[in-house]
Amino acid sequence: MKLMIVDDSGIIRNRITRLAGTLSSLRIDVVGQAKNGREAIDLFATSQPDIVTMDLTMPEMDGVECTRRLVDMCPDVRILVVSALSDKPTALKALKNGASGFLYKPFNDRQLIDAIEELVS
Amino acid sequence: MNKISENEINVFTDAIGHYFRQISTEPAIIKAAFLASDEAPPPLYDYTGAISLSGDYQGTIYFSARRILIRHLLISMQEPSQTEQDFLDAVGEIANTLAGNARQYFGEYMHMSVPVCTTGKLAESIRLTRTHPFVIMIKWRQYHASLVIDMEQVH
Repeated sequence: MKLMIVDDSGIIRNRITRLAGTLSSLRIDVVGQAKNGREAIDLFATSQPDIVTMDLTMPEMDGVECTRRLVDMCPDVRILVVSALSDKPTALKALKNGASGFLYKPFNDRQLIDAIEELVS
Repeated sequence: MNKISENEINVFTDAIGHYFRQISTEPAIIKAAFLASDEAPPPLYDYTGAISLSGDYQGTIYFSARRILIRHLLISMQEPSQTEQDFLDAVGEIANTLAGNARQYFGEYMHMSVPVCTTGKLAESIRLTRTHPFVIMIKWRQYHASLVIDMEQVH
């Protein structure tokens, strides 16, 4: 299972990478990291991930627009939005644009692992 | 938001409590909450992350912390890298998370910028929107931080 991480925070990208490596039930390879939506679009074609974690508030291109474009490029990709934006309309907008799940920041280790497992199940 | 209501203050204190509970096993303590003034300006520490607001609200939300608090927080997250960029990244991410969580109350039209992060000296040049922004003083372990809520509703 190939994972791409999209978040403007390097600390969050590192944390998701570390936690993805602890999943014993799944073999997850982090194939790319992007710090904004535009980078993610470029990286997507070459890394061809099966799953993506997607921040929403990012420079250059936000996560909702990036989600929409990635799903246009590859309808089978599963995208987990990982964002602090905790109002319901924003979550619904992300889901309408093709996201498969939503995890609110701040998350603990267990919550992220559960969310990734649910995404791939 | 000319006067900050108790509910609005609770939105932020709850977000702070939730953040530290999720990241570490030790809760944060709210040491004080007050309206800043010339005599009691908003306390800004070594690193400050700022989120600018637009849409239904204008102003800025700042999270500011001492270096040692951020260092221990990074350790709690098992983050081995502790460069200057990581410290700035951390305060920006915390400011973004606390402001983002507040949208559950303030709504989707409280538009948020990406974080702008500065070190101590630069933070002193911050221009405030309100005459008396609201300040929440935070203590986590024995380390200090502040959340400054300098926002008002646009009519």
